[in-house]
Amino acid sequence: MAEPITVRPSVSVKKPFLTEKRRSNITAYTFIAPFFIIFSIFGLYPIVFTIYLSFFKWDALGPMKYVGLKNYDLIISDPTFWISFSNTLIMGVMGTIPQLIVALFVAIMLNSALTKFKKTFRILYFMPNITSIVAVTLVFSTMFGNNGMINWILNGLGLENVAFNSGWWGVKIAISTMVMWRWTGYNAIIFLSGLQSIPIDLYEAAKIDGANRKQQLMYITLPLLKPFIIFVTLLSTIGALQLFTEPYVFLGQSGTGSTREEGVTMVTYLYSEAFRNGFFGTAAATAVMLLLITIVFSVLNMIISNRLGGDSKGGKA
Amino acid sequence: MKRVKHWTALILIIMLVASLAACGGNGNNNTKNNAAAPEKTESTETKNTDEATEPAEKVELSFWSLGTTNYEDLAKKYTEENPNITIKFQNTSDQTAHHNNLTTALSADSGAPDIFMLEIGFMERFINAQDKFQNLNDFGAKDIAGNYLDWKWKQASSVDGSFQLGLPTDIGPTVAYYRVDLAEQAGLPVDPEGFGAQIDTWDKFATVAKDFTAKTGKPFADLTDLVYNALRDQSADQIYFNKEDGSFIGDTNPQVKKAYDFTVQGIQEGWIGNTLLWSPEWGQAMNDGGFGVILGPAWMAGNIKSNAPDSTGKWKIAQLPEGAGNWGGSFLTIPKEGKHPQEAYDFISWLDSQESQLESFKASGLMPSIPALYEDAAFTGFQDEFFGGQATAVEYGKAAERVKPVYYGPLHDQTDTFFKDALKNVLEKKADPTEEWDAAVKKAKTLAERS
Repeated sequence: MAEPITVRPSVSVKKPFLTEKRRSNITAYTFIAPFFIIFSIFGLYPIVFTIYLSFFKWDALGPMKYVGLKNYDLIISDPTFWISFSNTLIMGVMGTIPQLIVALFVAIMLNSALTKFKKTFRILYFMPNITSIVAVTLVFSTMFGNNGMINWILNGLGLENVAFNSGWWGVKIAISTMVMWRWTGYNAIIFLSGLQSIPIDLYEAAKIDGANRKQQLMYITLPLLKPFIIFVTLLSTIGALQLFTEPYVFLGQSGTGSTREEGVTMVTYLYSEAFRNGFFGTAAATAVMLLLITIVFSVLNMIISNRLGGDSKGGKA
Repeated sequence: MKRVKHWTALILIIMLVASLAACGGNGNNNTKNNAAAPEKTESTETKNTDEATEPAEKVELSFWSLGTTNYEDLAKKYTEENPNITIKFQNTSDQTAHHNNLTTALSADSGAPDIFMLEIGFMERFINAQDKFQNLNDFGAKDIAGNYLDWKWKQASSVDGSFQLGLPTDIGPTVAYYRVDLAEQAGLPVDPEGFGAQIDTWDKFATVAKDFTAKTGKPFADLTDLVYNALRDQSADQIYFNKEDGSFIGDTNPQVKKAYDFTVQGIQEGWIGNTLLWSPEWGQAMNDGGFGVILGPAWMAGNIKSNAPDSTGKWKIAQLPEGAGNWGGSFLTIPKEGKHPQEAYDFISWLDSQESQLESFKASGLMPSIPALYEDAAFTGFQDEFFGGQATAVEYGKAAERVKPVYYGPLHDQTDTFFKDALKNVLEKKADPTEEWDAAVKKAKTLAERS
């Protein structure tokens, strides 16, 4: 304001290229560049190439041949693909929902003042997650073998053997159990950090108002834990859609990645297309389908959780 | 505070120096590569002069090997004889990953080793990628072809024989491993000759099996897969796919149907066990004498030894009924990417020589692919304590000469699984064998249509 306007033209020497603003912009972009560079090489490029590849027939060694939408046509008309889709959903539900409920209770127990050796339990619950999945699956394979421990117990209880290696439900039960065993502790730890972020005053106030434990759980713990539940559910949904190692090792113990109908998942189907059959085009088309399905489920997840979030917002204060 | 600053300065300096050094290293490599590239065409010429005048340049060959071999030891021996050559091994026992890594490296034109050990089950994937591999005939492989089993050699040749992808290493002729103690219990002859004679046709095999199970209460064969494989591999020329045009013929090949029906018969008569191939339960049953025979290739001996350490002296080897099949075995190949193909070929032809193959048999049980060895006293005289002092090499040699070579086709493995799954359903879910067969054929046809 104080500056006289007339001065301006006389100062109008060429503006330096690196103005203050530009310089700070360059600094900022330089700092965030590594992420974008790495992401475009290892994230974006493979995605784009996969989409491109899904229109070609390719065995990874010879020349690529353009086939248009034929790959999509092939997998959509393949019953095994749809079986893998429904298997993924069924095992996703079987492995995720009970697991989240158990994880929540484990977290509440770990958070309770009554529990001793909390740190030890926390480590114990988390251990399954860092154990090699292949090793875990091999151990579970012996347990779920035709003459394995589980069948032995079932026989002891006077029940008949369950064909965990070939039965429609048997395979799914065995695989879901492995998924549950591995992720329950991990999710419990996330829930626990959520529980610890809830201020104690709320519980104290509730106690003064005469709320019992169940009411505290229903009206304080669960509503305030909602963001964590949403986060964990989203992660588990995406994880469940990508289920691979457990069925891969459990069903194909010679490392061939069996596509047995009872336990084939979308990713084992994809893997088998690419690395067993050498059909990289249909494998890429499967990957694109999987991407679309994952997006649909994530969006659904978000819509549902937003609805739930809206209901409880009133109680936030 | 001051201290902290010093430390950060020091770390920065170290990082700087390290990054500069790295740059320098890269620069050198680049110039070397650039210099090497134009020379390629006249490499043989320069090599000759090199050998004559100055000491040969140091060469390190990378070698991706598969499974239990004694090649590391042999390579050390080779380096002693040829001090300028060292071999760097990268070993895995995961076949699928091993071959997938090569597929990735070849399609990216970067990262392939100088020498690659290729398993026969994956041969079809690579045999037509002739622009990615050296033709070993260019190095004189044709001259030594006669040393090896003819069918084995041809597995790695192009149809017209002009392109040779690999040198044969070991083979996997199938035999019958049987438990002596259980055979005795069932009143069967325990010596390999006698036992083999009792089961020399599949019909007799079934009769013996039924009788065995009745007397011992245990299944005769361990599992469906290996019984099926034993018959399947006795097909003539081809199994699931036509040698000429690659079309699916699994439903019309009588031997495939025979293998399927025979396995179904075994399931229904109750003399095939219900364990899973490679599962811990299977190994346990092997150790405890849970079944009578394993129909498997020569390399299965290694698996039996490691799974059943308590059963030393209780096993022997006899011939399979009606011939033998071949399961597995590898080849040594030279991907084109390697910078030292001549050195690599010199090494693999040494590694594949009669002397080296004998060493590999003694050390790791790799069955030689050189028939001259089958009469060699050093080979036939080898007695295995685990098999009660039996001269196992003799049985393997006999089986190797009964093998009829077959064409697999690129989708063999996946197609095979459909039939194995069908048998498993018959065994475990009491499914109808005919319906399962039809379903397997249908799946195989759908798959074949995609190629």
